[in-house]
Amino acid sequence: MSTLSADMSKPLKITIAGVRGVVGETLTPRMLVNFSQAFGTYVGPGRVLVSRDTRASGRMVQPCVWSGLTATGCEVVDLGICPTPALQLAVQQSEASGGIAITAGHNEAQWNALKFCREDGIYLNPKQAEELLNAYHQMQFTRARWDQLHPVGRDETAAARHLDAIREDVDVEAIRGAELTVAVDCTNGACSAYSPGFLESIGCRVVAINDDPELPFPHEPRPTPDNLSQLRALVAAAGADVGFAHDADGDRLGIVTETGDAPGEEYTICLATEMVLGRGDEGPVVTNLSTTMAVDDIAAKHGREVVRSGVGQVFVAESALNYGASVAGEGSGGIVFPRINYAQDSIAAMAHIINLMADRARPISQLVDETPDYYIEKREIACPPQRAYSVLEELRREIDATWAEEMNLDDGIRLTGRDRWVHVRVSMTEPIIRVITEARARGLAIDLADAYVRQVERLV
Amino acid sequence: MAAIQTLKIGVSGVRGIVGESLTPQLVVGFAEAFGTYLDGGVVVIGRDPRPSGEMILNALIGGLLSTGCSVIDVGICPTPTMQHAVVDLGADGGIAITASHHPAAWNALKFCRDDGIFLNQYQAEELLNVYHQGAFVQRPHNQLGRVGGDEGAINRHLSKVLASVDSGAISSLAPKVVIDSVNGAGADCAEGLLQKMGCEVIAINDVPNGRFPRDPEPIPPNLGELCEVVREHDADLGFAQDADGDRLSVISSEGIAIGEEFTLAFAADVMAENREGPIVANLSTSRMIDEVGERHESEVIRSKVGEVNVVERMLAVNAVGGGEGNGGVIDPQLHHCRDNLAAMALILQGMATRGVSIVDWMHSFRPSAIVKEKLPCPAGSTQRAILALRRHYEGRSMDLTEGVKVFFEDGSWLHARPSNTEPILRVISEADDAESADRYCQEALDILSEEIVRTR
Repeated sequence: MSTLSADMSKPLKITIAGVRGVVGETLTPRMLVNFSQAFGTYVGPGRVLVSRDTRASGRMVQPCVWSGLTATGCEVVDLGICPTPALQLAVQQSEASGGIAITAGHNEAQWNALKFCREDGIYLNPKQAEELLNAYHQMQFTRARWDQLHPVGRDETAAARHLDAIREDVDVEAIRGAELTVAVDCTNGACSAYSPGFLESIGCRVVAINDDPELPFPHEPRPTPDNLSQLRALVAAAGADVGFAHDADGDRLGIVTETGDAPGEEYTICLATEMVLGRGDEGPVVTNLSTTMAVDDIAAKHGREVVRSGVGQVFVAESALNYGASVAGEGSGGIVFPRINYAQDSIAAMAHIINLMADRARPISQLVDETPDYYIEKREIACPPQRAYSVLEELRREIDATWAEEMNLDDGIRLTGRDRWVHVRVSMTEPIIRVITEARARGLAIDLADAYVRQVERLV
Repeated sequence: MAAIQTLKIGVSGVRGIVGESLTPQLVVGFAEAFGTYLDGGVVVIGRDPRPSGEMILNALIGGLLSTGCSVIDVGICPTPTMQHAVVDLGADGGIAITASHHPAAWNALKFCRDDGIFLNQYQAEELLNVYHQGAFVQRPHNQLGRVGGDEGAINRHLSKVLASVDSGAISSLAPKVVIDSVNGAGADCAEGLLQKMGCEVIAINDVPNGRFPRDPEPIPPNLGELCEVVREHDADLGFAQDADGDRLSVISSEGIAIGEEFTLAFAADVMAENREGPIVANLSTSRMIDEVGERHESEVIRSKVGEVNVVERMLAVNAVGGGEGNGGVIDPQLHHCRDNLAAMALILQGMATRGVSIVDWMHSFRPSAIVKEKLPCPAGSTQRAILALRRHYEGRSMDLTEGVKVFFEDGSWLHARPSNTEPILRVISEADDAESADRYCQEALDILSEEIVRTR
């Protein structure tokens, strides 16, 4: 992986995925207030739910958001620290006009971000996000009169209602009967107060680490194998049947097998898909252009279609909604269970994978082994945000696509062959270009990645 | 009037209309500036119960935390309670969110330093320099401050006030008091304090919800309801608070609003009685304070108008009491801040120990009438307008400490000065009777208006 230079890793990212920056540098209280007023102007007046993850800066960001929203006449309801999917469910189930999640997801502790969701609990789509940005840049915010300002309300039950919805969607009796020991690493994030208790409530024996929301992240809060050494050790030490790792805000999930292996976050969608299609949920599988081909094989086995969307939660969610998906998700470990809602949800993913283990009565390592075997290579190349799309355009003009059966330009460039693919795209959250390749053979995936990374680096 | 801005950023803080000029951006910017000015530390925040207070509080918290300051939120409380808390908690500064006696649409920030006293003119200018410079301290995520509460601030303040007076004497008098808290910050605590001092209390407008049933300025035209209730209950007196608990005015047992100038006169009469040292009052304060000085052989020193100006003079001369004619009483034995709870305690103690009624006490002063007028005036015209007035009264005895104060041979005076908080000129005159005072005022208003029109 290429290392990002210091000044490249810290710019402000104002994109359709929200506004993200480094606290103490780019993410200033004034900007937070302005964005909250822009959002209040855009969706309000009405109720707006606000949640946050556990990062220390949330304590600073939160009052800025409340103040900005209140000033536009919105009625703020604070859900406190809770998983983002719980916020999304609460927005969907209530009369709220929208929600703001204060979280930088899997990014490290110095980052924070605002993620904006609309009244159905799905993040703003690009058109809506553009409208919000126009409101932000125009700076002509709704200014409510003094007697139209609402006090900040509280709702401490959103997370519990979210867990209830997940419990209703899985076979708790089967899980209880399997008597599984589950290790869980909450990275001291938003799931800390909820995930271990939830596992106990469905009859698992739980060993939890990093479940103190007051403490800093013990490792990068991204549930990729390189961050799972603690969890792997815990699984081994506790003799657990499976280990799960949440990210900071409860959308992505990583897995550790009972043998202490971390097979990679692509397996999360594979196992969740196997579970949902296995129990017969209707509808195609929706996943993004960068996600493993193993999903296609699993869907084919169950006689289902796969719909590929752009990368990013909103694209996956909107496609899932449009196509009436049975399950949807991304190779980064974020899975959507449409019977619950259209949010990527690590606790729901965990529950469904445990459900699969119970149903199949097989160890997780074997379920992993049964998943079609591909090798996926993920690279990133630093690129100034103002150059990123030009680089991709230049790459498109000179790219060698002779080997590919299909070229998809929905989100960057994706070339698909019979047994391999490459996807080059601009990250929405960081100043980088991603190159992802996959093939049956590891060497082939790496060679492909090397070739395209060289080409992108040259253009950058 | 349309050309006059509703935002006032000045030495006494930042004041504006919510929904117009007082935006969360502005508040966040000032919070960052104050945090930068203090260079970290703990900031106490208190607020009056205006509905806009919470929006402003949140913007302040966000801005202060980002500069590395921690916040102790003392919640809805009188401004003097916040000032006491700064000292009690050893904090590095404080902010009061209150537009005091201004109508509900207004709100404001008032900044105070680690001794619980508002920033003086020079400090306020330094803060403004930081604000305008815009280069605020920004701490990284692991050096941000935290937010805490303090439930005990009001009780500590009340205990101090109680301990400062002879509650025994007040209890044995057991006066019947009507208190009108205008649904402001003083609502719960004033009633509690009066009861603890042994008064029979009838409270009106006593829900601290910021929905003001009358204009919150405690001046006679706003106190009709209170006067009626005093008469109805045959009470010994009535007290009217403003929205944030710094100013007070008194209603006599006859149900007459005797005017806010008597508040300091009574309170100073009590403070000067057993204490050795000067009294400080601002230039616009009634000459009754001079009578108090003569009675107790205390020197009376006049300062510029504004709480901090009075306080700084009090500190400099080691005054035994001070305040302003607008009903703001400062008892330095408690704290150098305007405090209407302290004022109530002093006045009740005076009645109890002297055995006088409000009416008798009132008549112990030379009869006088004070007339207060205001005139909208763009900032650019104030200086020339006041110069015109000076020219008009050339040859008379004058005090030029702030604006112009003219003394007449019959003991009356006229004071014209720009307001610290509003785009207006204030014109005040005191004479033996209202007609004379009004005549002085009208004469001055004519001269000022003419000059304002001429220079516009």
